[in-house]
Amino acid sequence: MSSFPLLTVAAALPAVGAVLTAALPAATSAKRRDINKTLPLGISVLTLVLAAVVAIRFKPGGARYQMTEHHSWISDFGIGYSLGVDGIAVVLILLTAVLVPVVMLASWHDADPVANDAGTFERNRRTQGFFALILAVEAMVVLSFEATDVFLFYVFFEAMLIPMYFLIGGFGDRTVGEDARQRSYAAVKFLLYNLLGGLIMLAAVIGLYVITAKQGIGTDGHGTFDLSTITQALASGKLHFSPVAEKALFLGFMFAFAVKAPLWPLHTWLPNAMGEATPGVAVLITAVVDKVGTYAMLRFCLQLFPDASKTFGPAILVLSLIGIIYGALLAVGQKDIKRLIAYASISHFGFIIMGIFAMTSQGQAGATLYMVNHGISTAALLLVAGFLMSRRGSRLIADYGGVQKVAPVLAGTFMIGGLATLSLPGLAPFVSEFLVLVGTFTRYPAIGIVATIGIVLAALYVLVLYQRTMTGPVKPEVSGFRDLHARELVVVTPLIALLLFLGVYPKPVSDIVNPAVRDTMSDVHRTDPAPAHPITAAQVAATNSQGGGQ
Amino acid sequence: MSVPDTVHSLWTVAASSTTQTIPTPHIEYGQLSPMLAVFGAAALGILAEAFLPRRNRYWAQIGIAMAGLVGAFVAVVVLAAQGYAGTKAHLAAMGAVAVDGPSLFLQGTIVLIAVVSVLGFAERHLEPRSSTGAPVDAFAPQAATVPGSDAEKSAARSGFATTEVFPLTMFAVGGMLLFPAASDLLTMFVALEVFSLPLYLLCALARRRRLLSQEAAVKYFLLGAFSSAFFLFGLALIYGYAGTVSIGGIADVVSGTATPTPALANTTANDALLLIGLAMLGVGLLFKVGAVPFHAWTPDVYQGAPTPVTGFMASATKVAAFGATLRLLYAAFPGVTWDWRPVLWGVAILTMVVGAIIAVTQTDVKRLLAYSSIAHAGFILTGVIAMNKAGVSAVLFYLGAYSFVTLGAFAVVTLVRDAGGEATHLSRWAGLGRRSPLVAATFALFLLAFAGIPLTSGFAGKFAVFQAAASSGATPLVIVGVLSSAVAAFFYIRVIVLMFFSDPRPDGPTVAVPSAFTATAIALGVLVTLGLGILPQYFLHLADQASVFVR
Amino acid sequence: MNAYAPILVLGALAAAFAIGSVAMAALTGPKRYNRAKLDAYECGIEPTPQPVGGGRFPIKYYLTAMLFIVFDIEIVFLYPWAVSFDSLGIFGLVEMVLFIATVFVAYAYVWRRGGLEWD
Repeated sequence: MSSFPLLTVAAALPAVGAVLTAALPAATSAKRRDINKTLPLGISVLTLVLAAVVAIRFKPGGARYQMTEHHSWISDFGIGYSLGVDGIAVVLILLTAVLVPVVMLASWHDADPVANDAGTFERNRRTQGFFALILAVEAMVVLSFEATDVFLFYVFFEAMLIPMYFLIGGFGDRTVGEDARQRSYAAVKFLLYNLLGGLIMLAAVIGLYVITAKQGIGTDGHGTFDLSTITQALASGKLHFSPVAEKALFLGFMFAFAVKAPLWPLHTWLPNAMGEATPGVAVLITAVVDKVGTYAMLRFCLQLFPDASKTFGPAILVLSLIGIIYGALLAVGQKDIKRLIAYASISHFGFIIMGIFAMTSQGQAGATLYMVNHGISTAALLLVAGFLMSRRGSRLIADYGGVQKVAPVLAGTFMIGGLATLSLPGLAPFVSEFLVLVGTFTRYPAIGIVATIGIVLAALYVLVLYQRTMTGPVKPEVSGFRDLHARELVVVTPLIALLLFLGVYPKPVSDIVNPAVRDTMSDVHRTDPAPAHPITAAQVAATNSQGGGQ
Repeated sequence: MSVPDTVHSLWTVAASSTTQTIPTPHIEYGQLSPMLAVFGAAALGILAEAFLPRRNRYWAQIGIAMAGLVGAFVAVVVLAAQGYAGTKAHLAAMGAVAVDGPSLFLQGTIVLIAVVSVLGFAERHLEPRSSTGAPVDAFAPQAATVPGSDAEKSAARSGFATTEVFPLTMFAVGGMLLFPAASDLLTMFVALEVFSLPLYLLCALARRRRLLSQEAAVKYFLLGAFSSAFFLFGLALIYGYAGTVSIGGIADVVSGTATPTPALANTTANDALLLIGLAMLGVGLLFKVGAVPFHAWTPDVYQGAPTPVTGFMASATKVAAFGATLRLLYAAFPGVTWDWRPVLWGVAILTMVVGAIIAVTQTDVKRLLAYSSIAHAGFILTGVIAMNKAGVSAVLFYLGAYSFVTLGAFAVVTLVRDAGGEATHLSRWAGLGRRSPLVAATFALFLLAFAGIPLTSGFAGKFAVFQAAASSGATPLVIVGVLSSAVAAFFYIRVIVLMFFSDPRPDGPTVAVPSAFTATAIALGVLVTLGLGILPQYFLHLADQASVFVR
Repeated sequence: MNAYAPILVLGALAAAFAIGSVAMAALTGPKRYNRAKLDAYECGIEPTPQPVGGGRFPIKYYLTAMLFIVFDIEIVFLYPWAVSFDSLGIFGLVEMVLFIATVFVAYAYVWRRGGLEWD
């Protein structure tokens, strides 16, 4: 059983599912369409099961990379098909696998054909194409989390842009005229930003290869892309980057990840993309795809270029700090619900990146937890906001008011999502945000203090959003709103359950994550600064679980 | 009157030479069989054209051409299997033709390109039938008629066809097979002419928009003739310098390992002959690959030529011309690398940047692809500049990968039509993805491959050439290449946006249903694009093994 | 330089012959002018009047000229081959048969497709 390629199967399942879904005959009726959608949903649930198996079989404290698979792929370039997961990858795969079925269910009718003038539907594969693309994204994201070969990672890091691009550009919630043009603008902006980042990373990837080839790290005079081979060679001194080369390569990799994550000032594609995409796709962007960027900073930037990471760390911290404040400030001023959430996400990504480059174990554990919790909380907020918007057909905050009187469950779930976004103690994001701040504070007190402004602003934009849309007098257009129906409840329930559970008991996740964080810290030869009153991640989790339980 | 000694010696030498025997040349027909098969098919095609009744010619020509190409491919494979690509590599035909790895790899590639191209030429389902009900192809019914004349109309009515395109193509293919294999400059020049002349003719044969097509042919011919003249002049200067036209001989003289003679001492003292000669040879070759600043013909010719011919030209010519460039720079002139390399740096940078930037403003699909081919010529040049074994294998791989993407893309262009023939204006492609998702998706795949997205052959090729360039220290070139790739990606994406995210026009073009020929050509294009993208190892290895020149 | 002297002498002789012939004809020949003498080439056939700005030549002129060149070049190859036939032996025979066959292919095409007919 040990040789069973579990990781490959976990990624291949959605990939095969995508092909199958696209190949299904085009639906002729609403009923057939539902059948066509059930297949991809089923496959995503199966993928979740596989991801859970991966998580269960993963032994925290065991080997660094587990369930590894190695096959030669392009041996002329020292490229292998190498998979393996550490704790960070496991929780992110799990997050992805949880969110995809949820997103599918939430977007159940987003891609349905619109009746034309004659009242008939165009018979085509558009609807199933939407679900096939989501599965394709899932497959590529899972593979990028699993890849332990730099080139393999790069391939899927880049390739996932294409299905994402079609998801954003082809399936927005507005379909005609100027709005459609906005949407295709957003899709192109998304693609060009990320492609440029990717191409610059390609130059760095080639540079890495050439250096490994020149220093004879690979076999037969070829270079290598194998992560563990490179890191071992680095640790043993067999591989040595000149300082200039290391900085250049680090910047090349970091640029791509900073675009993807996104880090201020490379963030400008995100509000456009999230604003124009359907809520489900927006969740895919911010909660799934962007996580590959932050994950890759931890995995590749820190491991491959430890010295450059330390050199540029403070500068990146400052950028992330600007991102935190800037995102939060702009979120306060937004009129559009989705754009508000997008700017809030920019602020949150600032926290994640800050946690990574604070180079403390609390910071990095917090950042990893933050990736998971931000994924869940943003998904909850955004999907409920999507349900809200689907009832009115508008994205403007000003078009709503008094919803909580008409649709209390909707308002309640929106509230929980919002509170999670502002990191209320007792909900999952609090733990991670606290860890990030503590981790940053122990090394860079000033930055840690300034970053807390982001928390205050978060409270402002979330509560103002809630107040303007949910409270107050019931607007006439809002009075006919249905409360959440069964499908929507199925979408929201697991998310909220996770938020509450991880808020009071984050131990299962942090147990998996902590050994991996320790390994990463030792890669960059960093130890935590000794604080006057030491606090460990476990203590924080314990304190928090007591607090939440009261 | 006494005759001076010197004059006398003229006669005596002439007299004594009659007693010498000319050594009988030795021709290895077996090793030249790929070219012989193709030329044989061409000659047979001409005879078929002469003696077969009109109604039988089409199928006969396809049969002959395919038989010749398949024969040539089998010959290439057999030669490679016998080890001519490796240990047995040597010069055949008295040193005129090199039978070595690069030759055989490129010949195999060109033959496969030709197979796909012939499939495209054979397409007769796209044009509406003539009034006699005969299916017609993409070529002028009777090339000699004046466009718009009564003679042309009557030829079109009676369903005439220029089946000569097949033998013409075979001649061009034969020349292309010889071009990268030529091991002396004169043979190389002959090969250049042999493949260029049929191409000039083929360019003029479009059935629709004949004036545009003839203009393209005249431009191509005039500029091509110029470039040939440059090549020939360069050849003469190099001969003046080295006293030989053979690649190996030139390399010896250039590197100073040749046996010194008084005549050589006289000429080799003058580097100007060498450098100007090399520059002129370079002009001739860079013209054929469409590198900036010798690219001006590319968009006009690509636009005017019949689309199947454009596809053939864009892929096969590039392969042959880059093959010859490699042989010249790697086998004949490695001794002056430091002289030509900075110039080629400039050419490569210009080619990548100009190609990518001008492409952004194009509104015609064929012109867009033309500028994209210019940009790709720049990418390939970065591999050429590497001057190491990885450079050769990367260029070989890139050429193979790029050719099939190009063939596929142009084949798709032939399908999108309206009443006036192919609808090549970009605005008419709006919403194609809604109307014909399969065709649009196929074209999108080819565009993504051009843009170098991972899991397509374009990415593997780009990685290979940039890697080779970086390992030879040409990091700035790689950075320029990466940035111009980003610019290039912009216009490929623009076409995809247009196809998928724009509303279809009510009077938009229709997508014609092709016959099995074009369908096969496109399917092969897709297959190779994905195959070389996902599993490039075998072909990279093949290219790597085939990357040593013999001289 | 002496090596080129005979060539120079030959050139001078040729020039002298050409100039001398023309001069002799002009000096000694009878001069009886009529209309036909003023025609181009004095061949008795009126050249086609050319429209202003050029005009179209029958493409057959070029065709004939090209065909002439093709067969002309063939002869150029045949002469040196004939001279050294003995030393080339069977190899030379095979090669020349191949060459002539190739030229014959073009000839057959031209003949069958009416290239040799003027109208």
